[in-house]
Amino acid sequence: MRLRQVLVISGMTLAACAGGINDGRLQGTVIEDPQPNPAFVLTDTRGEPYDFAARTEGKLTLLYFGYTNCPDICPVHLAQIAEVLEQYPRLERETAVVFVSVDPQRDTPEVLRGFLDNFSTRFVGLTGSPEELGAAQVAADVPPATITGQGPDYTVDHAGWVIAYAPDGLGHAIYPFGTRQSVWSNDLQTLATITGESG
Amino acid sequence: MITWWCVALEKPWTWSWIPYPGIWIATMLPIAGYLVAVRRHPGPTDRRRLALFLGGMAAFWVASDWPLGALGAGYLASAHMLQFLLYTLVAAPLILLGTPEWLASRLTTRLRIEKAVSWLGRSPVTCAVIYNVILLATHAPATVEVLRRSQIGSFAMDILWLVAGMILWLPVRSPLPEGRVGSVWVRMSYLFLATGIVAIIPASLLTFTTNPVYAIYELAPRVGALSAREDQQIAGILMKLATIPVVWTTIGIMWFRFARQEEARA
Repeated sequence: MRLRQVLVISGMTLAACAGGINDGRLQGTVIEDPQPNPAFVLTDTRGEPYDFAARTEGKLTLLYFGYTNCPDICPVHLAQIAEVLEQYPRLERETAVVFVSVDPQRDTPEVLRGFLDNFSTRFVGLTGSPEELGAAQVAADVPPATITGQGPDYTVDHAGWVIAYAPDGLGHAIYPFGTRQSVWSNDLQTLATITGESG
Repeated sequence: MITWWCVALEKPWTWSWIPYPGIWIATMLPIAGYLVAVRRHPGPTDRRRLALFLGGMAAFWVASDWPLGALGAGYLASAHMLQFLLYTLVAAPLILLGTPEWLASRLTTRLRIEKAVSWLGRSPVTCAVIYNVILLATHAPATVEVLRRSQIGSFAMDILWLVAGMILWLPVRSPLPEGRVGSVWVRMSYLFLATGIVAIIPASLLTFTTNPVYAIYELAPRVGALSAREDQQIAGILMKLATIPVVWTTIGIMWFRFARQEEARA
C-alpha cells in the first residue's frame, strides 16, 4: 500500500513537472469578485484605434501595463507568456495578449512593435496620451504608473501583474512577477474553458 | 560593494565585465602554493605535471569567473551545466594528474586525510555513490534556488563540484598510488557506470519536461533569443552527452596502455 502511494505521488510529481496535469483550478491569484473587461480605446501599433472591450469580447485576454525600457519585469512576463503559448498553437491563436505602454514619451508605436516582436508578432501593443492611459489604468483597476528619476534614463513604476480575462468577459485572476510557466500552462488552459455558457 | 563570487544578480545580462576577486584568490592561492612547493622540492621540476596542474586550475577559473560563472549563477541552466562539467570532467582530473605523489602525500598528511583519501581511491563504489549523490543534490531545483542566491552558497556549490570531480577520478587517477584501484577492468567499468547511469535521470528530466524546472533561470531576464525551455534542454543534452567524449577517451587510453603492457609482458 505504502509503495503504491509512493509510486502514485512520484508519477503525479513527474507529470506535473512535464506540464501534464491540469486540475481545472486556477493557480494564479483569483479575483474574488470578477470584474468585466474594462472599456477603453487606445491606439495600436499601426496607428489604428483599438477598442479593448469590443476587440477582446469572447476571447481569453491577458492585459498588462508596462513599458519597453523596463529592465526586468516586463520582458520576463512577456517571454513567459510567449513561451507557454508557443506550446499550445490553438490557444495561442485564440488568446489576445495586450500590452499597454505606460511610457508614451518613449514608446512610440514603432518602438512598441519592435519590442513586442521580440516575443510574439501576435501580441497587441497599445499607447495613447497620458490622459487616455491614465483612464485605461483606472478602468482596469490598476494603480496609475508614475515616473521615477530624471533625464532620459528615467524608470516607470507600474503595476507588475498581468490581468487574465476569460472568454466570459470577466477578469478571473491576476499573475504577479514570478509566475512560473507551469502555472501559466495550467491556468491558460483553464481560463480558456470559462465561457459565458459554462459559467 | 565588491562581489567576491558569481551570484544571481537579478538584472538584465550585459557583456560588461564584472570583477570577482574571490575567484582570483581561489585560483591563484593553489597555484602559488604548488609553485613554492615544487621549487623547494629537490630534483628537477616535472614540466608535464606542472602544465596539467595549471590546465586544471585554468579550467577551474574559466568555470568560476565571468562570463561563464555569472551566466551559470543566475541566467542560464546550460551555463550552470557547463560549469559542472568543467569542474568535474576537466579541472578535477587535470589537477589530480598534475599533482606529484610527494606533494599529494605531504598535503594529505598535513590535512590528516591521507588514510581517508587512500581508502576512498580503493573504494570505487563509495566514490560513485558520493559523486552521484552530489550530482543529484546540486541539480535539485531547491538546492540551485537557495545556493545561487548568495555568494557563499554559490561558492559552496562550485567547490562542492570540484570536490565531487576529484572523488570521481580518485579510483582512476589518485596521485597516491596506494589509493588507486589496481585492476584496469574495474577502473574502466567504474568510470562508465559512475558517470553514465544516474546522470540519465536529471538529464532526461531537463531535456524532456515541458516546463522549466529551475525558477532562478526561468525568471531571469533572457540572454539572447534563447527561451527558458530551450536553455534547459541544452543543459539536459550537455549533461547526457558531454561526458561521453571525456569518459570514452579515458577508457580508450586506459585500454591501450593496458594492451601495451600486456604485449610487453608477452
